[in-house]
Amino acid sequence: MIQHHLIYHYTSYDEGITYYEPNPQAAYYLVRSGKILEFVQDRLGKYAATVMSTIMFLGHAQISHLETLSELRHGPRELNGIDDDIGGEKSEGRVNGHNGEETAEQPALLHPTLRALASHGYLIRVRDAQFQSYADNALDAERAIKSRPDVKQMKGKRLEETVLDGTLTMLREKLDGDLTRGFLHNGVPRGANKRLGNGPADKSARVDFDMGDENKEDEWSDDETGDTTPMESGMVVRVNYEKMDVALRNRRFLDLAEMHSSSATVQVYECLLRRIEYQTKQCRDIVEIPREGEEGEQYSVAIALSAVAEEVDPQLDLAGSIGPMEVLPPVSRRGKRLLDEDGVNGTSHQDSDAPSRTYEIDQHLSLLSQPPYNLTSKRVVSGLITWTVEFRHLARKLRHLELERIIEARYGDVALRVIRVLHAKGKLDEKRLQEISLLPFKDLRQVLASMQSGGFVDLQEVPRDAQRQPSRTIYLWFYDPDRIRNSILEDTYKAMSRCLQRLRFERGRLKEFLEKTERSDVKGNEERYLSPAELTLLGQWRSKEALLLDEISRLDEMVAVMRDY
Amino acid sequence: MASSAGSSVSELCARLYDACLKNFPPDHLFYQQDLLGLGIVPKNDLALLLQCTQSLVDQKLFRLLQGKNDRLAWKIISREDAEKLQNLSPDESLVYNVIHSTGRSGIWVRAIGTRTNLHKSILDRCLKSLEGKNYIKSVHNVKFPSRKMYMLAGLAPSEDVTGGAWFTDGVLDENFINSVAGFIEWKVSQKSWYEVPAVQQHRNNKRLKTADGNGITNHYDTDQQQPPPKEYIPFPAGYQGYPTIAELTAAVNASGITPVRLGEESITQLLEMLCYDNKLVALNNGEVYRSVKTPEQVKSQQARKPPGDDSGIDDRLVRNGMTEAPCGHCPVFKLCAPGGAVSPESCEYFDPWLEKALGF
Repeated sequence: MIQHHLIYHYTSYDEGITYYEPNPQAAYYLVRSGKILEFVQDRLGKYAATVMSTIMFLGHAQISHLETLSELRHGPRELNGIDDDIGGEKSEGRVNGHNGEETAEQPALLHPTLRALASHGYLIRVRDAQFQSYADNALDAERAIKSRPDVKQMKGKRLEETVLDGTLTMLREKLDGDLTRGFLHNGVPRGANKRLGNGPADKSARVDFDMGDENKEDEWSDDETGDTTPMESGMVVRVNYEKMDVALRNRRFLDLAEMHSSSATVQVYECLLRRIEYQTKQCRDIVEIPREGEEGEQYSVAIALSAVAEEVDPQLDLAGSIGPMEVLPPVSRRGKRLLDEDGVNGTSHQDSDAPSRTYEIDQHLSLLSQPPYNLTSKRVVSGLITWTVEFRHLARKLRHLELERIIEARYGDVALRVIRVLHAKGKLDEKRLQEISLLPFKDLRQVLASMQSGGFVDLQEVPRDAQRQPSRTIYLWFYDPDRIRNSILEDTYKAMSRCLQRLRFERGRLKEFLEKTERSDVKGNEERYLSPAELTLLGQWRSKEALLLDEISRLDEMVAVMRDY
Repeated sequence: MASSAGSSVSELCARLYDACLKNFPPDHLFYQQDLLGLGIVPKNDLALLLQCTQSLVDQKLFRLLQGKNDRLAWKIISREDAEKLQNLSPDESLVYNVIHSTGRSGIWVRAIGTRTNLHKSILDRCLKSLEGKNYIKSVHNVKFPSRKMYMLAGLAPSEDVTGGAWFTDGVLDENFINSVAGFIEWKVSQKSWYEVPAVQQHRNNKRLKTADGNGITNHYDTDQQQPPPKEYIPFPAGYQGYPTIAELTAAVNASGITPVRLGEESITQLLEMLCYDNKLVALNNGEVYRSVKTPEQVKSQQARKPPGDDSGIDDRLVRNGMTEAPCGHCPVFKLCAPGGAVSPESCEYFDPWLEKALGF
């Protein structure tokens, strides 16, 4: 368990007793491993995903140990097991990894892959302090600071401040396992730049990407060999889940953009987000999600427009997906079409010739900065146009979107309107609520009552006099997204565990049959040993399992939105 | 002597009244100086002026009011109205004046009672007779549907009372709202997406396209008649052509779907509602509006609406992990625990859900 970071341990110097403490966060991240592997595969190819899954399976691993592992020795070509079932749990990925075990040795590939993973920040170095809980580390650091001679002389407030500051710096030093530093140049990880230039990064292209993996892998290792030596073999690495959250969150932002924007815009946005991802270590600076309205703004690093422009695929058609700035004179649609077309042709020519590509990209990013989502924001720093993303605002938007989806699914679109009114206006009495939402009293009351029993809205009584008579009391409806978020989060956990329990139960139902399929002689040779009926049963079971696991990962997406982003 | 004084007073009154009527707007609030300034009362005799005004008030040609700083003030009443009022009994005129004083907002019956100090039965009689003479009318207040309110018959109730254009007889007119909302969404969507001209696909048979592109059904060549799905692309940021409230108001009023003329405030109210519905997006602090859906989507959504309302929910963005899983809408989710009466093992929702999703 220590190997997997599932428990913290701490041995105090004075007593010599070791204390253990569970690390629920790390345990939870096991659920997300499937998603992470999928993401890594998307980004860096199958082999990287295998390396990642191996490290995940081991909890943390020394580089030299990874070198000896057989499943990492073969090239990406032979490795076909892992991609099928990536959505599943980690153990499955592992099992499949074994399936495809072959002998072709390509140890040279391991180091560049590790380097790429590390430079993207997906791997971090394991430090001693990471095995202790945060509180223990803080106490330790505090003690160390206090025992420093210069600190001992300080008193009162100054002492407190120094101790606090010192503790934070010390903690940062001790816990820091960042591997990206040496590998970034100009804010871009090595090996990343090249891959992006290779073609449009949309889904269809990604398939070719994987097909042609070998070539690219070679190309990329050529690039590396010039100036770097293999990673030090004594180093111990683990998966950097915080960074993975950043990457996955960016993916959610992309999904959000996809809902309302054209694919060209989305691709421009992806480039911006990727640039930002390289320089973002974690989703939040503070551990807790701040309460709504009290969270400040947290902007990402600003990315210069020119950098985004470099990143965007030169083949991408940027001009075709944004309309002209000038409104054409209203076309009467009858016979005048010719004129209209000429006008359009004229403008579109202007669009493609006159403005530079950078300008067009700027246009796309401006489009994204529009309400309702404000996916980007523009900054002009000393004459240089830069673009940033406001994380807190967007994370909040994502959260609200999830909550609104639940509300709409449970109570209908009328309820959604009411909730959005309440959310925008704060506390309202029934009359105002009716005026704004323009709903008949009967419907309004019905929907409010059902949402109240579901815990989504609440009623506050404000008595107008000391007697607190109901007739002289104002009743205000309100909607507290923080509270709802917490309760939904708990519900989501529960639903996840229910799915897992159900899965176990389903497995129990088919226990004997499944044991047969898992026998070492049957496994891999299902076709030969199983009857057709059994084969269909197996197929059904597999899809059932996949469905339940998929559902769990969908629920995990919600947990991520509610808790981690 | 007394009679001559009386006649001179009544003569003065008549002159004063006419002068007031001529020189000031009917709503003017007269103070003492105004009346003296007309130069009708000789030597600025205050006592005489008071006599005159009192007699005018008695004749219901003046209404006595309290102006700023507790000064006395008067307003003129037109002769027809004065005639009306002269025929009223003292109680009735008392009630009438109270109702008159509240103007377009109307007054609650009980409030009239407290202000006039009349007995309830007398008050009821007065109200009945006034209503019978068609001097006052009862109105329906949306804020207090149970209260009986009165106001002068000639006045139109204010927005506060009726609740605005969206109320018909104090009840929210849902169908009306929906039809206007649908119209607005369609109108906004037309203006907020750029329709890609179909020139790329049909460059060579442009002539043909113009011939049948005008939407009139051509019976021959049905292949051509099927237009390719229109492509819409967004306008760039900062685009100025999004519709404003004024434009939309004009469009709604011109469309003939409303029996009454709708004001800009009513349309703003509706636009805000559409924003809360995630259908429109307000830009520039609510000056202009942009639609979320393209005209094509709006059209298909509105076309689908009548047959089944719940079918529309499925393809909206209501799906996430929680709403998909059976737990998301399980009525006994709170009771569910392993080993309990309701447990994941005995759950009756999982099997149908699995079957439905997998199709076996």
